[in-house]
Amino acid sequence: MTTTLEHATPDHPGPDHGYPEHYEPPRGPYWRLFFGPGLVRGVWMALAFFVFGLLIVAGLRWWWGWDPILHWEVIAAVAGMTTAPIGFLAGIGSFDYWLHYIVGRPTRPEDHSGHGATSWKDYFRVNTDHKVIGIQYLVTTFVFFTIGGLMAMLFRAELAQPGLQFVDPQTFNGLVSVHATLMIFLFIIPAFAGIANFVVPLMLGAPDMAFPRLNALSFWLLPIAGLMFVTSFVVSGGAFGAGWTGYAPLAEGQPLGQTFFNIGVQWAGASSIMTALNFLVTIITMRAPGMTFWRMPLLVWANFTTSLLVVIATPFIAGSQFFVMFDRIMHTSFFVPDGGGYVLGYQHIFWFYSHPAVYIMMLPGFGIVSEVISSMSRKPIFGYRLMALSLMGILVLGFSVWAHHMFVAGMADWLRVPMMITTLLIAIPTGIKVFSWIATLWRGRIHLTTPMLFALGFVTMFTIGGLSGIYLGSVPIDIAASDTYFIVAHIHYVLFGGSVFTIFAGVYFWFPKITGRMYDERLGKLHFWLTFVSFNATFFPMHYVGLRGMPRRVSDYSEAFGDLNFAISIASFVLGASFVVFAYNIIVSWVRGPIAGGNPWRAHTLEWQVTSPPPIFNFDEIPQVVGGPYEYGVPGARHAVMSAAAAEPQEVRA
Amino acid sequence: MTAHAETHDHHGPPLAHQSSRVDARVLGMFLFIASEAMLFGSFFTAYFFVRVVNPSAPETWPPEPYHFPVFVAGVNTAILVTSSFTMHWALQSIKRGERRAFLAGMVLTFLMGLAFLLTQVVEYIHVGFNTGDGAFASVFFGLTGLHGAHVFVGLTLLGMVIVRGFRGHYTPEHHHGVELPGIYWHFVDVMWIVVYAAVYLI
Amino acid sequence: MRRGIAQLVAIGVVIALLLTVVAVVFKWLPTSASEEFDRIQAVYWFATVISIGIFALVAAVIVFSVWKWRVPLDDDADGPPIHGHTGLEIAWTAVPAILVIAIGVVSAVVLARNGEAGTRPLEINAIGQQFAWKFVYSDYDDLRSGQLVLPVNQEARFTMTAVDVLHSFWVPNFGQKMDAVPGIETSIIVTPTREGEFQVVCAELCGFGHATMRAKARVVSRAEFDRWIQEQNA
Ligand code: HEA
Ligand code: HEA
Ligand code: CUA
Ligand SMILES: [Cu+2]
Repeated sequence: MTTTLEHATPDHPGPDHGYPEHYEPPRGPYWRLFFGPGLVRGVWMALAFFVFGLLIVAGLRWWWGWDPILHWEVIAAVAGMTTAPIGFLAGIGSFDYWLHYIVGRPTRPEDHSGHGATSWKDYFRVNTDHKVIGIQYLVTTFVFFTIGGLMAMLFRAELAQPGLQFVDPQTFNGLVSVHATLMIFLFIIPAFAGIANFVVPLMLGAPDMAFPRLNALSFWLLPIAGLMFVTSFVVSGGAFGAGWTGYAPLAEGQPLGQTFFNIGVQWAGASSIMTALNFLVTIITMRAPGMTFWRMPLLVWANFTTSLLVVIATPFIAGSQFFVMFDRIMHTSFFVPDGGGYVLGYQHIFWFYSHPAVYIMMLPGFGIVSEVISSMSRKPIFGYRLMALSLMGILVLGFSVWAHHMFVAGMADWLRVPMMITTLLIAIPTGIKVFSWIATLWRGRIHLTTPMLFALGFVTMFTIGGLSGIYLGSVPIDIAASDTYFIVAHIHYVLFGGSVFTIFAGVYFWFPKITGRMYDERLGKLHFWLTFVSFNATFFPMHYVGLRGMPRRVSDYSEAFGDLNFAISIASFVLGASFVVFAYNIIVSWVRGPIAGGNPWRAHTLEWQVTSPPPIFNFDEIPQVVGGPYEYGVPGARHAVMSAAAAEPQEVRA
Repeated sequence: MTAHAETHDHHGPPLAHQSSRVDARVLGMFLFIASEAMLFGSFFTAYFFVRVVNPSAPETWPPEPYHFPVFVAGVNTAILVTSSFTMHWALQSIKRGERRAFLAGMVLTFLMGLAFLLTQVVEYIHVGFNTGDGAFASVFFGLTGLHGAHVFVGLTLLGMVIVRGFRGHYTPEHHHGVELPGIYWHFVDVMWIVVYAAVYLI
Repeated sequence: MRRGIAQLVAIGVVIALLLTVVAVVFKWLPTSASEEFDRIQAVYWFATVISIGIFALVAAVIVFSVWKWRVPLDDDADGPPIHGHTGLEIAWTAVPAILVIAIGVVSAVVLARNGEAGTRPLEINAIGQQFAWKFVYSDYDDLRSGQLVLPVNQEARFTMTAVDVLHSFWVPNFGQKMDAVPGIETSIIVTPTREGEFQVVCAELCGFGHATMRAKARVVSRAEFDRWIQEQNA
């Protein structure tokens, strides 16, 4: 076990422990390899728990005299997707501390042996350092982005011509569904969580998150969920093919793969709820002295509102997937009309989460872009308070619009107009943000770095996506455009041109902070322009084919759309290839980019006032916050005093 | 860039500044409960759809040949509500340093919770319908089952407190480990009253 | 600064003009073949005018600012510390509010109009089933047909259900679309205005045959419609 620190100091005194002795792992290295926390123990414990789950299912079925005793769908759900992952988590050591605590054994005082990373191996264990966890998140999510993106390449190849060429329709549906599921649950949402994990505690002037062990656990739930989505392809019947929305009753009649979606979403959802809870508690209780809410950087505000959304909304998708799973496995009839169920109930419950989820996938990006634009224009954010309040406005309004996904679903007619109005009203707080960003540019001293390019690309592309959202918010237009490629265009303008652009902006922006090295600016710009152009070439024509009459989620389509789809597919391959530039830049720069220094952007927020990468406990001394986070151009203004002892200003101007 | 940062790798983290009067763990528990309440909310929504919105909603509740064991569940409700009081008593006792009363309270609470859960299992066996018998059964088993799972989690937490309690942990100064499971247990109780009212009574 | 504003406006106008050309030159919408779609297209154009204006504004400010105030990366001065401007902030809250409410009102009016069935609509049940449509003419002894035939200029009310999973009834040229849902009935009104052959498309993912769940829709004159009914009954 690597210990980054020679001598341990108990920091946050855990509840009720008074045991000063330092935990010493007993016995020899082999014993430790197999029985100590780590991936090896994770694997065999997963297997053991799988057998355990299997025996429980088989035992109960035998006891009740049900046939067959080995019901593989149930076994897959219980043993494969519930107990085995728990075994894995226990194996890698996620629960070690709590198990000691539960049985009343002396808990190991936090000796920070689970903190920090000295070698790449430290990224493959339960690590409680928010910076390590942030990197774990980012790397994992980009892996899943690649997988999800390659699936898009596959079905784009299929769509290049009308008729069927490469895959059968069920596989096609599986590819589309897994593509979207990975992008949403394994890329956008956790990638934002990763950036925030790294940055938010630093911005707050906190040594770590409020619950570091919970933080580590939240991360490790993700690969479990991702693995479930991806492996659903290998089971009989193929991957879940009812779309990422998994509408009942179609989802209830799908083969086994659908269960992978039902349960995978639970793991991903649990992960995001736990992370959100952690952010909320951290932001509320661990701000540095002087850091009032009105002095928090907008990224912190954005994660605060997002986390509220997650905590409140996510249980609804959990519910919706439970019901579908019960209908599938336990023969309940939540959404089975013959049994007295109500089909549209699924959509209401699903969208009550999944609409707020689109803001979960956007608000953190708003935060990132605010940081980038203000520090790259060397100006304070225009209308800081309204920027924070508009986030809250979106949060509140976001809960009142879910049925705009159901305008043509046959729901109660009287719900349409109220839902249309609330939907359209969201343009107001969002517009405030867009206008404030461009007003921040006004008369600034604009540094057109790669993160800035992505931020500006985001503002324009997201405006297009938002405006197509306004079309859809208008019920009559939605009636014509719903379930067509117009929706696909909207999705990708807001999610790719929106969220993904902000993730790129954030990764480039904090890359020097995270790695201590600078990325290659030329390659960064090449990446931006390639992505920007091919992105538009891919997705803008989709508005057209959609309005003209091409439905979404089809493997085959009318000849009339052949040429355009061919062009779209070619553009999408270029878009995919542009990612190679990014990957190359990041990997090479990480290994041997030029040393970046603590504050290459001369930004004011706290994460830039420490070394790059930041010291293991972030701050030697908790800083004292004395002003707003974006006081660019204000003579003598400071966000924080880093050390009570240091009289001289250390930050700003090099 | 701070000049002094590198030289200090070798000491523990600075103590975080506590920027709110609320204790982090209590706040965390309340947020967790908020999301749990929303999970129940999704199940109540399903109930609402099946029973109210659905054009083919059953005339009577439960539909004709079936009955819910209102009385047994009522007794069960009483048990669970009482256990909330014993929980409170246990917490007050440890705050006053009365160890034995604390342990007695905890054990009593645990036993009542267990009795509730066992009664529910027996109720399931004798209730006369199964998960496959229609949407009313789906929401019945859904809501009571979700709640039962929460009782189970609550019992695990209580069991933890009991084990540690008998090992001599907790003092009048340090009783968060009792307080937090207590908050959760009260939540489980309140939730049951809502479930009971919605499923059995109205 | 006055010259700057003029340049900004010029950029904005150029962008707006370009977008207008794109919006007008390409035929974004299928030919309308129903009264309902005519109204929907009006809303569409209304939203498009507003969208072009908004996008031109946003894009113009960005292009102009970058063009005007871009500095080399090693420049280390700061911009002027402008923290906000109450008047502007009120304006960009109020103006979008007015615009979206206008869109909302127009949409609500059109929605209400498109839901009016007229005095005696032709009643048709559309039944979705994996993977074909069935149309039942309840005014004509429950005549069943796999093909949709409609008399021109006559309101038709489609009442939909589904046998197995969700489907969605859509004829792109009619503009109207509605899911067919197992267990409940849904409905839409279509008043065809143009004779010809169109496609009924299933727009809701319904399984592996979703892409090919198509049917033919023919809009014909009243006389021809009556003839068709007779043929079918014969
Ligand atoms: C990041 C994700 C994201 C975001 C931010 C949004 C934002 C919005 N979305 Fe989108 N949406 C999705 C992701 C997102 N959406 C996805 C994934 C789906 C498909 C799900 C599926 O079925 O698979 C979807 C589907 C979807 C539908 C359902 C379509 C259908 O299936 O029939 C609707 C309908 O109302 C809609 C509307 C909107 C609106 C009004 C906004 C607004 O929030 C946009 C507000 C922003 C602006 C308007 C631009 C900036 C504003 C100004 C510059 C001010 C001035 C503006 C005006 C005066 C108009 N979206
Ligand atoms: C954040 C979300 C996100 C992102 C980033 C993407 C990215 C992409 N999406 Fe996706 N998409 C969705 C979310 C997203 N999508 C959602 C929610 C749906 C709805 C699903 C549903 O209906 O249920 C959808 C549906 C969807 C459809 C409609 C399918 C249908 O209805 O039948 C299409 C069609 O073209 C598509 C295409 C693409 C393409 C080409 C990319 C590209 O941008 C991907 C680019 C990335 C890569 C290619 C990977 C990395 C690259 C390399 C490793 C380099 C090597 C590769 C090459 C050289 C080719 N997506
Ligand atoms: Cu029927 Cu799609
Ligand atoms: Cu939405």
